[in-house]
Amino acid sequence: MLKNLLVNIAYSINTSKKYAKTKHFFYNLLENPNYKYKKYFDIFMIMLIFSSVIILLREVKSQVDDSLLFFNNYVISIIFFIEYMLRLWISSSVTKIIIEQSEHDAMLGEKFHFFRPLKEILRVKFKYITSVKAIIDLLAIIPFFHHLRLLRLFILFRVFKLFRYAKSIQTFTSVIAAKKFEFFTLLIFASIIIFVSSVLIYVMEANHPDSSITTLFEAIYWSIVTISTVGFGDITPVTQEGRVVAIFVIVAGIAVFSFTTSLIVTAFTEKLDEIKDMKIIDDVSKLKEFYLICGYGSVAKEVAKKLSKSFKVIILDEHKDMVNLAIKDGFTALNYPPGSIDSYKKLRIKMGTQVKAILCLSHSDVENVYTALTVRSFNKDIFILSVLMNETSRNKLKFAGVNELIFEKELVGMIAKEFIGQPVAFEAIHAFRSNLNGIDIQEMVINARVLSSFKSIGEIQNKKYRIILLGIYKKQEAKFLFNPADSTELKNGDLLLIIGNIQFIKDFNNYLHKKGTR
Amino acid sequence: MKHKNALVFGYNEYAFEIVKNITSSYKNIHIFKLEENTSVVDKKNTTYEVSSFDLTDNWDEIEEKINIDECVAFCTLEDMAENIFLTISLRDSFKDLSIIALAKDKESATKLKLAGASRVVPLTQTTANVIVEMLEKPIVTEVLHSILYEQSDLQIAQIKVENYHLFKEKYPAEIDWSKEHGIIVVSVVGENDFTEFIYSAKAKHHPIKNGDIFIVVGYEKDIINFEKIIGSRCE
Repeated sequence: MLKNLLVNIAYSINTSKKYAKTKHFFYNLLENPNYKYKKYFDIFMIMLIFSSVIILLREVKSQVDDSLLFFNNYVISIIFFIEYMLRLWISSSVTKIIIEQSEHDAMLGEKFHFFRPLKEILRVKFKYITSVKAIIDLLAIIPFFHHLRLLRLFILFRVFKLFRYAKSIQTFTSVIAAKKFEFFTLLIFASIIIFVSSVLIYVMEANHPDSSITTLFEAIYWSIVTISTVGFGDITPVTQEGRVVAIFVIVAGIAVFSFTTSLIVTAFTEKLDEIKDMKIIDDVSKLKEFYLICGYGSVAKEVAKKLSKSFKVIILDEHKDMVNLAIKDGFTALNYPPGSIDSYKKLRIKMGTQVKAILCLSHSDVENVYTALTVRSFNKDIFILSVLMNETSRNKLKFAGVNELIFEKELVGMIAKEFIGQPVAFEAIHAFRSNLNGIDIQEMVINARVLSSFKSIGEIQNKKYRIILLGIYKKQEAKFLFNPADSTELKNGDLLLIIGNIQFIKDFNNYLHKKGTR
Repeated sequence: MKHKNALVFGYNEYAFEIVKNITSSYKNIHIFKLEENTSVVDKKNTTYEVSSFDLTDNWDEIEEKINIDECVAFCTLEDMAENIFLTISLRDSFKDLSIIALAKDKESATKLKLAGASRVVPLTQTTANVIVEMLEKPIVTEVLHSILYEQSDLQIAQIKVENYHLFKEKYPAEIDWSKEHGIIVVSVVGENDFTEFIYSAKAKHHPIKNGDIFIVVGYEKDIINFEKIIGSRCE
């Protein structure tokens, strides 16, 4: 009966949307580095840590106000305690363990025993409690028992909590952790040197009347100070034999010091690319909108150069050399295969909201088909544009879900035709499109603000601004009207196609958007 | 049309696309294949005469068969060094020949210009421009594409002024072309071949004269009517 009740409660909690939402919120706040409010929480906790240390320092030689002590000993400790409990809560799901065990038992036709999930719950929670980070969290709460003076020093453990909130410290730790075997070897080597030299110096110096080394502790202290190349000079060997030991320790100290430095540098060098990639991924996930270019080459370079004037552009390429080239050209590029769903997951790209369009600009139709199909498999709506290298691949790219195809060879044919037919007209239009001589062709959107002042084409007075109105694109009818009559009604979302000097276009735009112009 | 013959140098997809597009504009189209490419056999252009050439040719053979004054040459070799060499070679032999050359990038485009090409199509830049325009100004791209490349009612034309007296020393920007003729004059090409936007300072101070060329956009019938009034179509 009690067991059934327990399973029912577990199911009810596990299926509760409110519970899931609350747990998810705390998970994001405490553990998800991409959650937008996490940084505010982290800053708040860092401030608490520093204020705690400042109070401790002040307390050493001065009288600290009772309210500050209360804040330090109770308020901060309680906040840390709540945080500790929340972390313990989100570290694993108790209800899930109970449900899994009950389903497992039911499947095998066995009777549900409560002690099995209980054992598992205790195991996972204990695993969390004994993790380094959790131990630091727990020690940081201890100053709550401030009546024990020694325990006040545990405030310093709060500083270690910074590991949780400062990303750069986390990066440093991960770099060092990557070389833990080497560091361990070094530690063993240094320990042996310290042990041997301490014993030797003690044996050589302890019985000499002028020697300041009289205990084994002083011998160990001297060894550590010497091997670390610090050498305070408060204890020095006075016997010939003792000095020989000193030479040995000094040389070993230089070796240990150099080895440590080279280990740290190597660890950073090896992880540098990864660290840079992580930083870029973080930055990309924060972008509001960008174009995603898949495949870097000559066309991609030109497109990225032009688009990056007004938008953010991210380049993906599976070839490391092309990524390096893109970075050298000044673009944000990542070495991930654009044809793999995993790439988009790792990059945490939100296709629906962040990406304006996918541009498949690889010089291989095979790669472009693969990329387009990959993207289409998880997003049906995103706009995909691709270059077409061979006419035979046209249908394959269309089938893969590409919205717009650019076939360079076909383009050349059409341009050649215009060149020989009406070269001057073609050049003139080309000059406008390329924004040469300060003349541009632009689309101007009619919005509610424009409509509040202008109702029809005849009212906009484009000629006054030396602007040609080529036509109007009627959004509702999805139709382009060339040279529209003055009586043509303006509607929300319509687009004016205008040609003019860039500065005059800006003035004209300001004029249209200025409320009560007319 | 001034030119009757088209000489297409190169036997590749670019050449085939050019041939496909210019077929209706030329009486004769001659395709020239670089001798190294003998392994390439394509049935697409069996309707045209395919001759071979090599870069050391002095073009005597062509000159004997074809009237070069009536020709336009398209240099479409994929190797840029060869294409530049071909352009220089043609220009060296034929001073007045119209040469349209394909360039892979800006660097090759500059070299082809220096080599004497009349017009250069930079492939990378052109493709990139079209892609960017398609993303940033989709409607402009669609409209201009239909005006420039497709068989639509809306057209672009070069009209030469032959009846300047109709305008009584007026300036192009003073006249409301769209209301009077249903067309839009976008640019004016005056003496010394300057091409200016109709509202530019230079065009504003240039009274309409015989020989000026108007670049107009409009429906075919309006352009024909306009052409009848002011002069003739200039191609």
